[in-house]
Amino acid sequence: MKKPVSRRRDHHNSFSSQLPIGKDDAICPFLMKEIRHTPIRDPNRRFKFTYLAIPLLVVLGVFFATEKLCLALQVTDQLGRTVTLSDNPQRIIAMAPSITEIIFALGQEHRLKGVTRFSDFPSEALLLPKVGSYVHLDLEKIVALKPDLCLAVKDGNPIEVIQRLESLKIPVYAVNPTNFTSVMQAVVKIGELLDATGKANRLVRSMNSRIQHVKSLVVKTTHRPRVFFQIGINPIVGVGTRTFIHELIVLAGGRNLSEGPIPYPRFSREQILGLSPEIFIITSMAREKTFDKIKADWDRWPDMPAVRSNRMFVVDSNLFDRPTPRLVDGLEVLVKLIHPELFEEKR
Amino acid sequence: MNTQTPALLRRLLAVSFLLSLFLFMAIILGISIGSTKSGIRSVLQSLLGGEASDSMASTIIWQLRFPRVLLAGLVGATLSLGGLVFQAILRNPLAEPYILGISGGAAVGAILGILLGFSRFIGVSLFAFAGSAGTLLMILVMSSGQTILKKDSLLLSGVMVNAFCSAIIMFLLSLTQDSRLHNIIFWLMGDLSMLDIRHVGILAGLIFPCFIIVFWQSHSMNLLLLGKEMAQSMGVNIRAVTLILLITTSFMVSTTVSQVGLLGFVGLVIPHLLRLLLGPDHRILVPSCIIGGAAYMIICDLLARVLPQQGEMPAGVITAMIGAPMFIFLLKRSGK
Repeated sequence: MKKPVSRRRDHHNSFSSQLPIGKDDAICPFLMKEIRHTPIRDPNRRFKFTYLAIPLLVVLGVFFATEKLCLALQVTDQLGRTVTLSDNPQRIIAMAPSITEIIFALGQEHRLKGVTRFSDFPSEALLLPKVGSYVHLDLEKIVALKPDLCLAVKDGNPIEVIQRLESLKIPVYAVNPTNFTSVMQAVVKIGELLDATGKANRLVRSMNSRIQHVKSLVVKTTHRPRVFFQIGINPIVGVGTRTFIHELIVLAGGRNLSEGPIPYPRFSREQILGLSPEIFIITSMAREKTFDKIKADWDRWPDMPAVRSNRMFVVDSNLFDRPTPRLVDGLEVLVKLIHPELFEEKR
Repeated sequence: MNTQTPALLRRLLAVSFLLSLFLFMAIILGISIGSTKSGIRSVLQSLLGGEASDSMASTIIWQLRFPRVLLAGLVGATLSLGGLVFQAILRNPLAEPYILGISGGAAVGAILGILLGFSRFIGVSLFAFAGSAGTLLMILVMSSGQTILKKDSLLLSGVMVNAFCSAIIMFLLSLTQDSRLHNIIFWLMGDLSMLDIRHVGILAGLIFPCFIIVFWQSHSMNLLLLGKEMAQSMGVNIRAVTLILLITTSFMVSTTVSQVGLLGFVGLVIPHLLRLLLGPDHRILVPSCIIGGAAYMIICDLLARVLPQQGEMPAGVITAMIGAPMFIFLLKRSGK
């Protein structure tokens, strides 16, 4: 088999090893032409050299100043891997819906060249080319889009795909958001990569202040209602301690009934009745119709406090299981469901 | 191996040449078609002219599609040869690694290996081999004695072993909570997309010796089919031959299963088709099963890539959709 051409890595190497004499002509073609003309062989023209030297120095100066643009950059991603990527990536593949949302939130969607299936927010994302689902990525489509950076998530994207992309000389930067803090870190890190640090910092500041506001509300009450958050319909699946939803429930002043070491524990109906939740929340994997059916299902057990007080709710799952700035929206929704009394007092 | 007669050699060469032509066409098709449009012309350009028009097309062709096509070929060759060997040893036209539960046992071993955190090569492969050897032993014990010749008891024990294996697989899956679950499920149904050229090379290095061993024993397989007494009188050490073939076959089947998951019925379709075309001589059937199985699997994988509108489906779906009706047809015919 013949060795495939790998142009990309070649020019990366040439730039990091011998900086000014790069072969890349994509970004500064005019400057390169000037440099190639520097050797002057005709002795009759030697006197002109001094005159030429000044514009040449200017050109070189400009080149050194802009050369930062072409430089390969070494960064450490959220998994501690060292990734070499171009300083100003222009063709990005978001390998999970959450990454797509973060890039849109940073206003950098013009760099986004491919997204995964189910990338449905904001709706503009639906128009971008699809590269498979985030657990089963279509390598061929990714390569065909010629990305200069792939943004991956640790929880979901299979490691084999990441390794193959790297063996194809496509840089992969992975984030690993596991809670609010690391979601904000991921936003900041992606902002740094995409030259949108200011926007990222503003985004994180507003997230922080909104979380603080919720905290200041919740602190007024000591009551912590028992919440069951159902993310799976059949079998009944709750959320363990190490999930975003658990963090949200606790921040919103509730007690997560399904907390524990298993991230997504399964429950029987009997166990749920035994836990007697005061608030029952179901995520909308499907439409309202299904919710009515599930609600009718639970309504047969009026002994359950949540049924008795009619506190069964359906929420948009995308606000709760995607590590994006929209998690704060989820938090605000949740606190209104768990502590409606805090909002009544206000009025 | 016993190819002293030049007529046989000539026939072998002719058959191999024809099938290789077929295989070659399958390979060209396999690397020409994919989820992105880079048509046959750029593939031919890349094959003939050396330099492809752009590096992206050549990356897709040589680093994504080519390893996959090679892998599909290897897997198809292994599975159809596995079917052929089992049909000869057990003297049962319906024997096949998947139906017998050999693949299922390998899958149980492989999933255990994955869940225990072993690496794909050596670790998981050894677990898969242990699993398939275990099921093989189970099948041989269950249908021991004379009953092994009867297809019903063999099939029944295979069905039971399969049911048992899939119960264990479901059990292991229900214990798994994290994101590996989705991967394992996709892998179970036969996923050829994940290996790169280096792994395909290692796999080929492990499997090619098995092909040679089976070919070396192909004349003994002919004699085995004549019956135990006959074979013994012709100087075949039945016990040794059976043991060598069983171990070799379950080794190569389990190695492929540990890499690509369960692909059923390949070992049924190809050996039967070729036997219809070429007659019962294993000295010809063994090499033609290798080449024909490779071509068949490449086409099946191609269908799996092309048929769905979005994404791709596991190749195991295609092989089962073609193979299962074929199995019923064979069962009906052999029942007469």
